[in-house]
Formats: sequence, C-alpha cells, structure tokens
Amino acid sequence: MLKTTFAEAYDNGEPRLHYRALMERLHSLAPGDLQGRARLVESTFRTLGITFAVSGREEGLERTWPMDLVPRIIPGSEWEIIEAGLKQRVRALNLFLDDLYVGAQAALHDGVIPRWVVESADGYLREAHGLRAPQGAHCVVAGIDLIRDGGGVYRVLEDNLRVPSGVSYVLENRVAMTRALPIAFRNHAVRPVSHYGASLLTALRSIAPTASGDPTVVVLTPGIANSAYFEHAFLARQMGVELVEGRDLVVQDQVLFMRTTRGLARVDVVYSRVGDEFLDPVVFRHDSLLGIPGIVSAYRAGNVTIANAIGNGAADDKAVYAYVPDMIRYFLAEEPILPNVTTYLPWQNEDREQIFDRLEELVVKPVAEAGGYGIVIGSQADRATLEDLRAKLTAQPRGYIAQETIQLSTHPTLIDASLEERHIDLRPFVLTGEDIEVIPGGLTRVALPEGSLIVNSSQGGGSKDTWVLEDDGAVATR
Amino acid sequence: MNLQIRYTTTFNYPKTVRDSHNVLKACPTSNAAQTLESYDLAIDPPARVFSYVDYWGTRVDSFGIFEPHEQLTIVATSHVVTHPAPSIDLSIDVARYAEPDYRVEYRAYLDPTRHTEWTPPLAELARDTVHGVEDANGAATRLMEAVRDRLSYAPGSTYVGMELAQVLENGQGVCQDYAHAHIALARSVGIPARYVSGYLYAADQSLGSTPDEAEIDVETHAWVEIHIPGWGWQPFDPTNGTPVAESHVKIGHGRDYDDVAPLRGVYHGPEDHELGVSVRISREELAGRQSQQ
Repeated sequence: MLKTTFAEAYDNGEPRLHYRALMERLHSLAPGDLQGRARLVESTFRTLGITFAVSGREEGLERTWPMDLVPRIIPGSEWEIIEAGLKQRVRALNLFLDDLYVGAQAALHDGVIPRWVVESADGYLREAHGLRAPQGAHCVVAGIDLIRDGGGVYRVLEDNLRVPSGVSYVLENRVAMTRALPIAFRNHAVRPVSHYGASLLTALRSIAPTASGDPTVVVLTPGIANSAYFEHAFLARQMGVELVEGRDLVVQDQVLFMRTTRGLARVDVVYSRVGDEFLDPVVFRHDSLLGIPGIVSAYRAGNVTIANAIGNGAADDKAVYAYVPDMIRYFLAEEPILPNVTTYLPWQNEDREQIFDRLEELVVKPVAEAGGYGIVIGSQADRATLEDLRAKLTAQPRGYIAQETIQLSTHPTLIDASLEERHIDLRPFVLTGEDIEVIPGGLTRVALPEGSLIVNSSQGGGSKDTWVLEDDGAVATR
Repeated sequence: MNLQIRYTTTFNYPKTVRDSHNVLKACPTSNAAQTLESYDLAIDPPARVFSYVDYWGTRVDSFGIFEPHEQLTIVATSHVVTHPAPSIDLSIDVARYAEPDYRVEYRAYLDPTRHTEWTPPLAELARDTVHGVEDANGAATRLMEAVRDRLSYAPGSTYVGMELAQVLENGQGVCQDYAHAHIALARSVGIPARYVSGYLYAADQSLGSTPDEAEIDVETHAWVEIHIPGWGWQPFDPTNGTPVAESHVKIGHGRDYDDVAPLRGVYHGPEDHELGVSVRISREELAGRQSQQ
C-alpha cells in the first residue's frame, strides 16, 4: 500500500512547472507582507459576513471560514481529465436515480447493486417513487469530493447529491484573492468562476415544467438559523431570484405560489436547500414548520420542479458509493475515469476479514454521518477505540464502511509567517440541466492542524482559492 | 360478496381554518381476492383532487382547500366484489425463513419500524411461541394467538405513536395495535410481515349495529399479511382471530400504519377539532349479477 504523500507544489524540492511563477512571487514578498495580506483576506470575509456555524457543538459559534493566502493550481490538461471524470460520474448517478425512482429499477434487477443496500439507505425515500425529474436531472447541483493519493491520482472520496454547500466560498475566495495577490493572479491564465450563478439559473430554468415559457425560480432556505444561510442568500442574489422560506410559499390546487406584495405569483422551479424530510409535512415529518404543505403533490402533478430532486440520499449513501464505478460501467458502458478510494463493506465476508485483520491501517466511517463526524482513522486510534469499533462493525455491519487510508496530498499553506505543507482535498461543483457543466476548480479545503487529514469546516478546516489554468502553467513572470 | 362501502370523515372546526392539505388512502385495491368495480370521491368544500398510485400500490387522493372553511367532509364510496380465498399450503417448512437470500429479499418486512419496535422480552416471547413449530402457517397462527392472549379489545385505550411494549404491558388495544404486535413478533423471529389497512364487513355492536341490518356501521380495520415462502402473502386478522375472507376489503399495505394511514392532513387554524369518521357497508344482492353465476 502506498504510504507516501503527494506534494502538490513541489517535486524533489523544486516547484512544479505550474507553481513556479506563484512560488517566485510569494518568496519575493517579505514575511510580514504575507501576513498583512492574509489579514486583509480575513477582514474582507468578516466585512462580507461570510461565516459558518460549527454544528454539533454546544457554543454554536459562528466563525469566519478561513481562506488561506496560497492558491491551489490545477494545470489545464489535468483539469480536462477531472472534468470528464466528474461529468461521467454525475451522468451515471442521475441515470441510477431515474432508474430507481421513475424507471424500472433495471440496475437493481440486474444486480449491479444489491436491492437491500439501496433500500436500507437512510436517504432512500419510498415517497419519491414516481416523481419525475425533467431532463433526468435528479442532481442539478452535485458536489463530488476528490482527493489525491500518494501517486498523485485523483480519487473520488464522496458524492454529495442532496444539498451540497460551499460554492459561495469558491466565488468569494476568488474575489478576495484578486485583491490579496493581484499581480500573481494577473500573471496566470486562470479560468473564471464568476458565471456560476448564471449557469445555475440556466440549469434550473431548463428543468421547469414544460408548460411554463418564462419560468420563475426561487431559492428555498430553512431560514437565518441555518449554518449555510449566507450561501442561500448569496446564490439568490447571484441568480437575481427571490430567496424564500416555507411560509412564503403556498400550494393551491397542486400549483405552487409565492406570496408577494401584489398577491400570489406562480413558482415553477424551487432550488431547495431544505432537507427532504422537512419539505412537506403532509408527506414527511408532520412536525416540520420549515416546509410547504402540498408541495410534493404539486411536484408529482408536474406543476413545479424541485431541485435537487427528492430522495437523492439513495445515491450518496456511503455504502452505495462503493457501487458507483459499477453504475458507470452499467449505465454508460464506460470505464470510470476517476477511481474510488478502495472501499470494504463489512457485510461481505471477504471484506470483513480484511477489515478485522487490518483495522489499524484502515479508515472506518459511519454511513449516516456527515461533516467528518464519527470517522475512526485506524493508525491514530487507541486500543479501546478499535475494540469498540470491532463490536460496532459486528453488530451493525450496514452502518459502516472501511477504506484504505489515503494520506491526501499536501499544499503550501501560510501558517503564522511561514509556508508549511498541509493536507487538502477538492470539492468541484457539477451542474446538470440540459447539459452537464463543471465549474472550473471548486472548493479546495485544507486541514489547518499539522498532520490532520480531516478538512471539514466543522473540524478546523480552511479553504483555498483554486486556480484552473487555461494552459499548463508555462507562463512568463512579468 | 358484493359490497358497497361508504367512508365518511367530517372535520368540524371551532373556528375558521384555511390552507388545508390532505392525503387520503381509502380506495380498495384489486387483487385475486377482490375486484374494485367503482370508486367515487366527494369533498365539501369542493377541491381539485390529484390521484396517483404510490410505491406500495395504494391509490392516493391528494387535495387541498385553500379557502377559509369551518367544516370539511370527505366521502369515498366504493363498490367491491370479494372472492373466496384459496386454501393455504400447510406444509411449508419454517426453515426457509432462515435462507440468507430470502432474508435479503424480504428485508423491508423484517426490519423494525416506528410502530413495530420490539424489546428483548417480546423477542423471547416470540421465540418461545414458535419453538418446535415446523410449518410457516402454523408459526404465524401461533404468534397471532400469542397476541390475542395478551390483548383485549378496548376502543380509545391507545393512541397513534404509543410504544408497542407499553401497549402490551397495558394489555388493551385496537386493531392497529393487534396488527403491529403481530408484525413485531413475527419479524423478531425472522418472519416477514406487513400491515394491511382496509374495511371489515361485520356488525360492530359498539356502534349500534346488529348483524342482520342491510347497512351496518363499521370502522376502518387493520390486519396483517405474513409471507409464506413459495406461497405468497397470507392474511391474518389478529383482532378477531378469524380467517381473512370475503368480509375483508383491503385498501393497501405497508411496513406499518404510517405507510397506509387512511388520512393525513395539515391545516392553518386552531389545533382542536371535532372529528367524525364513519364507515357504512351494505351488502348488495344484485339479482342480475347473481343469476349470471
């Protein structure tokens, strides 16, 4: 097994071709200057009010999401492969969801993925059967988490197909970066990301019920208490559409309306950032005050489209993830371009033996948790934790997956006044409407504590601006 | 049997309510045991009804009333012809329940749900009950009897959402409780079981009916289907302990009550309301039809 770590910017102590200009520029700045620019970034974010709440903690504190001063650079030819791989994966995931909820469940009948694995996924909703997604776009917005292994190979770590967040940071990081390092930015042919709002709106309009000529789109938020409220407001502003809460919407004769100062206005497409279970108290949780009674019927009647579609949790479950390469082969008759991380399933006999033999080498994840909670890294766990884990794996095999420990690539990161290597991942955002579009780059997350492999914002992570170059980086420094 | 069923629900609100949204599952299904001849839905105040068939195969009528109203009446009328049940194969070995492929296939009906959660003592009771029983139908029957031994029928003794262990400890329940208890015991020993919602044509003396009336008042009923390997889903009525036959009219099935609840709704307005539910069933002697047989 590969234990090495891939360094993004350096190869044998020398900057890689596409990092040369940036490193030259950074090293030409005085250490105090770097820190000054970092403070500028921080104050920019504070002024903009970009914060996130740390979930699962008593304090519930809002913090700014720290952006590191050193951007991550991806050469154009490398991005081409990533982009093709992401499009392929999201195409297959959409086909799988359409087959599962709208189609004949051919993938289950043909044994591509065991029926019980899908049916026991928390996010699989029988209430979603028969809900048609125009364009087959069940995942209009997908966030696919990528990591780079010791050999520099990009691998998919996780699919986020329900309400993936973080894209607002991609856009805001770019704005902050052009202020903090304007010369370095100008010296690179960086592909833009600012069109994300326009692309999202195009995708959302393309899934409107066919009857509407000029569809009305809204962004539905759980409200200001939600940790991603900033992003919801940001996206509504970027698209120039209304930001609404459940109480602003009403269903009348299976048609969705928004309350306005001039009366009710018909809504055709809802970009929902409310979890499925809270969407409609008639169908799901009775006690939900966030939802809109009757909206699922309106959707079923074909009078409104909700994005992402309901029930996508059947496809981004961590156990279902293990079968995505097979979905690609089955639905597209292609080999996966981006491999998964090698994954072991505790309910399969041969896999279970591997897991129990090599528990101290593997990473074990609970399938139902998000945000990095509950993950056990075998090499860092004590004896008691591992024993406890063995018991849990035996009692609840469907509740966990095990994966090879990937060191995650490292990237120079400004820590105090010096550049130090820290682990990073990448969440690109993939939009599906009439076509599939990937926004160049995505959110690079960085684990700020030294040696940490957990990049989630809730676990002490930060972010980086991600530069996808038009070329492969042979740019002259001016 | 030729049955005319009139399901009526009336909500009387103390103050005006508005923006009411409802999901009704009251339409009988068609299968080998029964044929749905007609189904008609009347709602007052009038509403546009959107109907579809859900994952479980149950017809769902969804409708909303946006305008302010003080009363809501739903009348679902159906005409069903029920047929005699085929006799069950009594020789199917319970050992088949343990086959791994079988357990995987019927997993949805083996896992506990909100209303069918069992405790270790309940599982022990189920194990003791089926101990030594060799045929599948016999095991299901014994479990039904175990439920009947522990519960007596008492309207109003339980509420939706009450824990099953609590219901059994109190020893009283209604048809939903009998059904959930039977399902939980069966699942706890690895026998797939599902919940059935429907109507029962039987005089309910507590509602003032006598068996010889032409039209009788009943309530919506619930019973159970147990899967018999290689045979199919076999119905059991744990509330009455009688065979499920031509007097039983099935609406639909699911993992528990939540999947087939007859009526779910939400509205804007005061929380308390007066609810009247009635089901009237009449048995028709249609001369023309009879003579054709």
